[in-house]
Amino acid sequence: MTTKEQLKQILVSDLNLEDMTPEQIPDDSPLFGQGLGLDSLDAVELVVIVQRHFGVEIKDMQEARSAFQTVETLATLIDERRPTT
Amino acid sequence: MQHGIFYLLIRLGGTRAAVPLLHAVALYYVLLRPSIRRRTLPYLTRRFPAAPTWRRLLLAYRMIVEFGKVLIDRAAMGMSGLDPHSITLSGRETLLGVLGEGHGVVLLTAHVGCWQTGMAALNFIDVPVHLLMQREEGDIDLHYFEHRGLPCPFRIIDPRGFLGGSIEMLQALKRGEVVSVMGDRDSGSVRNTVAVEFLGGTARFPFSPFKIAAAAGAPVVVLLSHRTGLSSAHLEVVDVIRVPDNLRVDPEEFKPFVEKFVKTLEDYVTAHPFQFFNFYDMWDINAAQEPVRNTAPSLRSMRL
Repeated sequence: MTTKEQLKQILVSDLNLEDMTPEQIPDDSPLFGQGLGLDSLDAVELVVIVQRHFGVEIKDMQEARSAFQTVETLATLIDERRPTT
Repeated sequence: MQHGIFYLLIRLGGTRAAVPLLHAVALYYVLLRPSIRRRTLPYLTRRFPAAPTWRRLLLAYRMIVEFGKVLIDRAAMGMSGLDPHSITLSGRETLLGVLGEGHGVVLLTAHVGCWQTGMAALNFIDVPVHLLMQREEGDIDLHYFEHRGLPCPFRIIDPRGFLGGSIEMLQALKRGEVVSVMGDRDSGSVRNTVAVEFLGGTARFPFSPFKIAAAAGAPVVVLLSHRTGLSSAHLEVVDVIRVPDNLRVDPEEFKPFVEKFVKTLEDYVTAHPFQFFNFYDMWDINAAQEPVRNTAPSLRSMRL
């Protein structure tokens, strides 16, 4: 399973996107506002999710700003920073 | 213009010189500006439910005078600097103790007493203190540190910034720093609030401070203040609330912690009835369906 697919599954389950399936989330759909419709508190949860599930800590605003655009951008950050096992 | 008159009086004669004019302005508002007087009523009718109409006029007058004194104190402090004896603090050791745990601290305050100038008494904290604070476009209302052109002693997080400043707050806490937020008013949507009993009615309060605390593993320190006289105040660490870090998405999970804070606030407001300055109808749940706006009479709207 790719990081994007994993991420979509986690978004649906951990952020209670009940009316959505992972397959319905486009890679380039904005995470916040229009798109998935996540809000600022979901962003807090997303930081926790990324750390808990992928071991990646989002450390600064610049990183968050560029990663928290779409599933695609977030998955790219995770792949770049994910600890190798 | 009236700002200038008040500032001039404070410069010439100190805070006492400005108080007579404050009483005159408050009387004008109560008698001739019903729109401003009405803003005091949602709280006063809850806090003093048995008060007849004539007494509510007196209560509104007193509320406006007390709020004006807070603004005068703030201006005076800004002009002359902080008198270290003017603000006392209880709970300093508690605050330093939780800070020493290294997970940061969410400092939860409310629009009670001198919530802005009181922060100046926290200058013993040796880590950065962040304030979630929004300045309005064209706001002529000055914070105490702005009167003498001093640099802001706090790091301001603008709730209109990226994702409402939530990531900035979380990262500050993860660095072991202090993030101060108001727990009695939400500038965001109703989605980030829970309905809680407050002063005999149901009002909406934000759960976001507890959510961010849970995500960071930070304790929530409830810090409230009340004025004890002209240019003097007392700050109190009234509670430390610990939120489990396994709480996640459902707002109802955070409700017990919000209720704990609101009960503390209610007790404080009961003890200091004329020092609660939320001048809008917190109990109008339908109105809260729209983003809640700060409709408190500011220096600008009070022309003080």
